[in-house]
Amino acid sequence: MTKNIIPVGPQHPLLKEPISVNIEVSGEDVLGGSLRIGYVHRGIERLAQERTYVQNVHLIERICGICSHVHTTTYCYAVEALLGIEIPPKAQYIRALMCELERIHSHLLWIGILAKHIGLEMVFMHSWHNREVVLDIMEELSGGRVSHAANLIGGVRFDMDAEHDQMVRRQLRKLEDQLFGVLDAISTDTTIKARTKGVAPITAEQIRQYCVVGPVARASGVDVDMRRDNPLPPYDKLDFNVVTYPDGDAWARTIVRVDETRESLKLCEKILDQMPEGPVTTRARRKVPAGETVIRSEAPRGEVFYYLRSDGSEYPARLKIRTPTLAALSLMPVQLSEIRVADIPVVLAGIDLCIACADR
Amino acid sequence: MVEGLFYLLLFPGLAFQVTCGLVFEWADRKLLARFQRRVGPRWYQPLADLVKLFSKEDMLPTGASDWAATILPLVSLASVLTAGLYVPIAGFTPFSFEGDLIVILFFMGVPTMAYYLVGMSSVGIYSILGGARSLLQYFSYEVPLLLAFSGPAVLSGSWSVSGILEAQTELGPFFLFQPVGFGLAVVGLIGKLKRDPLDIPKAKSEVVAGSLTEFSGPKLALWHLVMDIQAIIGIFLLINLFFGAPVGAAPWIGALIFGGEVLLMIFILSAASSLFARLRIDQLAGLGWRVLVPAGIIQLLFVILMGV
Amino acid sequence: MAKKNGLLFALVDALFSRPETVRYPFGPVSLPEGFRGAIEFDAECCIGCGLCVRDCPANALELIRESREVYQLRYFPTRCAFCGQCQSTCARGAISHSNHIVPSTANPDAISVVLKDTSGGRLD
Repeated sequence: MTKNIIPVGPQHPLLKEPISVNIEVSGEDVLGGSLRIGYVHRGIERLAQERTYVQNVHLIERICGICSHVHTTTYCYAVEALLGIEIPPKAQYIRALMCELERIHSHLLWIGILAKHIGLEMVFMHSWHNREVVLDIMEELSGGRVSHAANLIGGVRFDMDAEHDQMVRRQLRKLEDQLFGVLDAISTDTTIKARTKGVAPITAEQIRQYCVVGPVARASGVDVDMRRDNPLPPYDKLDFNVVTYPDGDAWARTIVRVDETRESLKLCEKILDQMPEGPVTTRARRKVPAGETVIRSEAPRGEVFYYLRSDGSEYPARLKIRTPTLAALSLMPVQLSEIRVADIPVVLAGIDLCIACADR
Repeated sequence: MVEGLFYLLLFPGLAFQVTCGLVFEWADRKLLARFQRRVGPRWYQPLADLVKLFSKEDMLPTGASDWAATILPLVSLASVLTAGLYVPIAGFTPFSFEGDLIVILFFMGVPTMAYYLVGMSSVGIYSILGGARSLLQYFSYEVPLLLAFSGPAVLSGSWSVSGILEAQTELGPFFLFQPVGFGLAVVGLIGKLKRDPLDIPKAKSEVVAGSLTEFSGPKLALWHLVMDIQAIIGIFLLINLFFGAPVGAAPWIGALIFGGEVLLMIFILSAASSLFARLRIDQLAGLGWRVLVPAGIIQLLFVILMGV
Repeated sequence: MAKKNGLLFALVDALFSRPETVRYPFGPVSLPEGFRGAIEFDAECCIGCGLCVRDCPANALELIRESREVYQLRYFPTRCAFCGQCQSTCARGAISHSNHIVPSTANPDAISVVLKDTSGGRLD
């Protein structure tokens, strides 16, 4: 059988963001793949060194569209740690609420993308239709569907009163009614299961070796979740389940994300129940004292790691960001052996690529 | 002579079949859109697409066989149009003869072979993969399809579609007697038309557009026409073989019922397209030979032995 | 069967519901109250401190200052990222976002809006 190379990317119907994976195939069997990234590298870390700490909040938000809030939250916590201030509890809860809403809408987006790539376009449209409810909540709260600009150094930009609380609860209830039919249907559908079960299994050893985090790791039985292991406030006061599955194949990755969506919906209700009263910002000096700090948080795709060093001037000395997709991408060439051509979409979708995050 | 030209060019020939093909494409896209909570295209959209494609530049990559890419869509179009001449529309056909069912099935198989050949003659990994997959798929669905279509022929004792229609006016619609055969025929039709869930040769996420990846302009327009006409002729054939024609009714009532059955079949095809994920080629081969062919054989044996 | 009920139910429900398409701009579009559109400026509250200029991540605000009372504040709507930072920074509430969407233009550098000018046009 002759060997051919399928060039997936930089432009391909499979990819929403440009990467280049040259997949070597022989007939219908995939022999391996070589990966090339960097197509959307914008030099965020270098740009951050030429902007003040306040301006950087908005630069960091534009790293990624889907996990924008988590990035700004982590950055703001890092700066607040250097400043030595603690934001009011209501601001912490509002930040957590937006994080969980973002997790829900990211997983719904992912379910749609997976369904579209295996041919079920109706589930794609319905899942994104449900996602609109979450985007409407975020628009009512913050004024923007994707660019929330929710965080300031020292708190959050908007307040939530009783009317907002009622609105969020109402929309979440509406989402639950719409969603559980589709989520249940996906988790029990035989054709989706037939396409994803047993495809590209990853062992826990490989997860640890390649430092993969997030739902991909949890789908292989590795129990790691930054919300529980290294909690930013208020996650230390909230109790929730961390979903793991032992199989490690594409089906497990699907189910982990479906269950995580349900968990996040319950967690949103708990956050609304526990939200205290009070101010939403506190005074933050513009002059950040010298020091360095590391903040880790849980984005929809895994652990986000921020290292911030300040030398006392008004610009950061070094901002280092490690995003979860970068580790998962290194696992991709390993996953691309021993599968068939028809499984390529399932494998690529299972990693939940967010190349804008990975390239920065 | 004039009558012959009328049948060839207007009804049920070129103009009628092209119109039906475009109407089928519109109905299919509109239904799919409504299932997905979208609005869907307006009635003139498939015609507008055709006109637009005919006005675009016609190019192929270097190394692709130009004459194959020109001849094959024309031959396919001629074949499906010829096949359509023999399929009764609401019971009316000017050209029926004994054995025309086999002629129809033969002509309907030409586009599939042409799709495979054009994929192999084109340059680029996507075309080759699409062509190879289309041949693999052909092996998996064609035998169940032929077995399913043999059932009504055996039951009515005639290999002419008009003869099958006459038998159904006596006995009743055949899908009642051969439900398994009807199901196999629907699955086989989905495979022949390369629709979701059996659109493996042109799976957008794996082989960008299969054999037709490098096509654009008038050649692509011809291929779209071929697929639309193949679809509507396949639906007509299915309805004639399994639903029959209404007994002794006025022609316009017969046409209405026929139109209703066509819409029902389009609905079934679109719903199947929306409810199932795409199969893998090895799963299709397994399904075809382990489930569909035995079911077809058992149905055929049942028909032969029981005489019902 | 649970699975078929889920997807089949969703299909039938979608068939008999209104489509979700918003027929913009032929239909009504609803914007929330917190929508960050074009800038609204209250010139009396502004004292010309320049904090908004420092905090704008897109350099959409410019302050030319001659003395404590004579200054000009200029806004470039095509550079603006509509992030709301100026609104949060201003302690006087002079600058805020309205509900109007800023349309596109072919010549972005030609547009600038003078928000406040105490110099009488001298600092242009």
